Amino acid sequence: MEKITVKIKRFDGRESYYQKYEVPYEKGKTILWLLTMIREEQDPTLNFTSACRHAICGSCAVQINGNAFLACNTSLDEVLDTYKTMNLTFEPLKNFDVIKDLVIVWEPKMEKMEKVKPWIIPSEKGSNEHGFLQSEEEFHQIAAPTDCILCGVCASECNQLAVNQEGYLEPFILNRAYRYIVDSRDGSPQDHLQPVLENDLWKCLHCMQCVSQCPKSIPLTDQIAYLRSSTMQMGAVNNQGAKHAYAFHDDVKNKGRLNETMLPIKTDGLVQTALTKIPFALRMIKKGKINPLHMPKQISGIHEVRRLYEYAEEVKS
Amino acid sequence: MLKFDVVVVGAGGAGMMAALSASKDKNLKVAVLSKIFPTRSHTGAAQGGINAAMGYRDNTDSTEKHFRDTVKGSDFLADQDAVEFFTSRMPEIISELDFYGVPFSRDENGHVAQRPFGGASSPRTCYSADKTGHVILHALYEQCLKNKVQFLNEWFLLSVVVENGEFEGLVAMDIREGKIYPIQAKSVVIASGGFGRIYWSRTTNAINMTGDGTAACFEAGIPIKDPEFIQFHPTGLAQTGVLLSEACRGEGGYLINRVGERFMARYAPEKMELGPRDLVSRSIETEIKEGRGFGEGMTSYVLMDLRHLGEKKIMERLPQVRELAMEFEGVDLIKEPVPIRPSCHYTMGGIHVSDFETCSTPIDGIHAAGECCSVSIHGANRLGGNSVADVVLFGKYAGIGAKESAKRRIFGGTTKLEQEATEWNAKFKAIRENTVGTSMFDIRNRLAETMWYNVGIFRTESDMAKALETVDELIEEYKDAYAGDPAEKYNMAFINYVEIGNILKLARAVTMGALNRKESRGSHSRGDYPTRNDEQFLKHTLIYKNGNKYRLEYAPVKITKYQPEERKY
Ligand SMILES: Cc1cc2nc3c(=O)[nH]c(=O)nc-3n(C[C@H](O)[C@H](O)[C@H](O)COP(=O)(O)OP(=O)(O)OC[C@H]3O[C@@H](n4cnc5c(N)ncnc54)[C@H](O)[C@@H]3O)c2cc1C
Ligand code: FES
Repeated sequence: MEKITVKIKRFDGRESYYQKYEVPYEKGKTILWLLTMIREEQDPTLNFTSACRHAICGSCAVQINGNAFLACNTSLDEVLDTYKTMNLTFEPLKNFDVIKDLVIVWEPKMEKMEKVKPWIIPSEKGSNEHGFLQSEEEFHQIAAPTDCILCGVCASECNQLAVNQEGYLEPFILNRAYRYIVDSRDGSPQDHLQPVLENDLWKCLHCMQCVSQCPKSIPLTDQIAYLRSSTMQMGAVNNQGAKHAYAFHDDVKNKGRLNETMLPIKTDGLVQTALTKIPFALRMIKKGKINPLHMPKQISGIHEVRRLYEYAEEVKS
Repeated sequence: MLKFDVVVVGAGGAGMMAALSASKDKNLKVAVLSKIFPTRSHTGAAQGGINAAMGYRDNTDSTEKHFRDTVKGSDFLADQDAVEFFTSRMPEIISELDFYGVPFSRDENGHVAQRPFGGASSPRTCYSADKTGHVILHALYEQCLKNKVQFLNEWFLLSVVVENGEFEGLVAMDIREGKIYPIQAKSVVIASGGFGRIYWSRTTNAINMTGDGTAACFEAGIPIKDPEFIQFHPTGLAQTGVLLSEACRGEGGYLINRVGERFMARYAPEKMELGPRDLVSRSIETEIKEGRGFGEGMTSYVLMDLRHLGEKKIMERLPQVRELAMEFEGVDLIKEPVPIRPSCHYTMGGIHVSDFETCSTPIDGIHAAGECCSVSIHGANRLGGNSVADVVLFGKYAGIGAKESAKRRIFGGTTKLEQEATEWNAKFKAIRENTVGTSMFDIRNRLAETMWYNVGIFRTESDMAKALETVDELIEEYKDAYAGDPAEKYNMAFINYVEIGNILKLARAVTMGALNRKESRGSHSRGDYPTRNDEQFLKHTLIYKNGNKYRLEYAPVKITKYQPEERKY
């Protein structure tokens, strides 16, 4: 019978090491099934967390061969097929503290989340006795962001967070802020927005990893774009991030495309870039997200692009 | 010694509502203890909605109608004073939740949207798309963060300590550190959720729904009320028990056995697959029992076939159902039928709450709310959408009750607390050092199988007597079962060991209640006593535990307005 070779990163509170298990392959199973089989039939000392087993409680996210997934709704067959292998390596989520084996701690993340006041600051239009009126349209604004199950997949995948744990906010935290900023019932959106701006909002690098792995398909990067333009509307234009936006604007206007290699240099200055962006850039190169040797030329339709800019300016004024 | 005025055990809907209301008094020290991180709690799994007679969608609806529907749904076993209290306060709670930021779906007037639900005479189920419990759970957690509620996450309640009828406190384990602590408290709210896991793989419940708080109260001398009433859902996925929406049957799905028959023709020739939940559940189990199912033992199943609806209709009407079957059962409904089997969905019984306004139990200082207890507003059968409602409403009142208890009571003694903590430490050590014995998972699986076949959807005297024997044997075997992890820190094997002990205790109470209730009422359906018998059994079961001895009593049902009548829909 076919066997799956599973390597799991173990951690006992002091040391970490990899342990190997072999599990007979079965068709139509989930990753959570695989982990449960190992624990119940081979090794009861193995720890991971799960509860609902239907993608709503957010407890079971782990890394498989370097990417984060929810264990309970990820098909084993699909993973084997994607990675074209019968060897799977399990590790705890990245960018979290680990307690044991695949188990991570959430409290520090919640403390960080409190920065954005992740609760409603009720506007005067509602009351405890009568609630609020909210249109269907307004509800739709908050429908997707409230799908978040706090599974941590986005944080694990976040390339900015990997080099900037202190300064940057986890995508799920930005989502929480966004959720209240756009909630028609909230009376004080700036109280959620200001802390977002103060915590390196502009450092998102558009690698799109969070969005592509989010088990609930929450449009995290669109939200970040929204948050950025909201801070600019708030008048916060003279910061590094807004300068970045202008650099972006200039690049596209001049060349018709973005020069991702030059962008950090334009916004941060060369020395700063060398000091802080290198580890990140190396990760991105490894993942094939940017090509540092690529120097964009003008694209052929550049005049059209410029005309779009002119048009946008006209419409604005 | 750790000391709190109020401790709340559980951080689901009931626990967090209780914590919010208890911590309104800033002079009180309140802590919430939860074995899992709060937002992982099972309240998040509720999809359908929460019942309250807002009258937004149907202005003829009223709290009175909600009252009547609930009593009728309960097959007249609910306490009517409690139900009236509940239904009349639910509309306020919805507004409160709205004010807490719960993103409810809206109607065209901007009010909270309402949908029709089984057993309700008006569309009164408020909802947020298909994630009602999830958004309520998260909003409550946010409110707790805002109000600086103290959480002890990944702390596990081991026992509730009562000495000479007086509540002293709790013993709990900090799972991460592997340390066991006595905790002194003036009052407690137990909100630890249901115990559907007595059927292990055949439940829609999360894997940690093992009734720990219910078992701890039971052990401390508080009776369990009406444990025999367990709700089953006809269409759980075969492998995991995960709930497959009722919409499959609603949209015209076929139920097929191994010989390719639409077997519902035998049981409900007119309504076929659209027969009531309990009838469909019984029919599926009959097919399996009589050898017309697929697979074997606990993994047997029948098929739900939607292929005849065609790709277009499936994609239009049932996209989420299709995704669910694909993700959790590896089946594409457009191309293949999906294996299903009934699953235990909800436990109506639980800790005996003797005063619904404060959610107090018979022991002063101990309160309970949510699925772990029985108030009783659900009686013999809970209506869809009434549980999340129960959880938030009684969670709130239990919190207020516990707050008042804490103000009134003083800290009790500590001798028994210390002693029980010492005993748990010894047990922890023994389990960690044990290297032989039957695997605890094996005991758990055998318990599930016995309960499923003998005290599940079909119940008869002889089967249940057999189950009682088996459960007793398993309780014996359990004492030196093998858990398998010698570690001190984060020893989930030990936690599972305690959980399995709890479901064994509770399964015995379920069986005893069911054996003695010689009638069929609500979810309790007996082949040998197929009708309701109000003369003898219009009363609540109360089961007490004293050491290894279980004792059964009955208590009257409170009937204020609606005299029992035949329950017909
Ligand atoms: C799939 C599914 C769908 C449902 N849909 C609906 C619906 O649409 N409408 C409806 O009204 N109802 C629904 N229900 C029922 C409803 O969701 C539950 O009855 C309700 O949410 C229970 O809430 P609770 O607060 O009592 O407990 P839970 O939310 O289960 O919380 C229990 C808490 O107790 C803690 N705990 C348990 N044991 C211990 C211990 N030993 N130590 C410390 N902490 C402990 C846990 O950590 C958890 O925080 C559904 C149930 C299921 C399974
Ligand atoms: S177990 Fe709940 S999300 Fe996977």
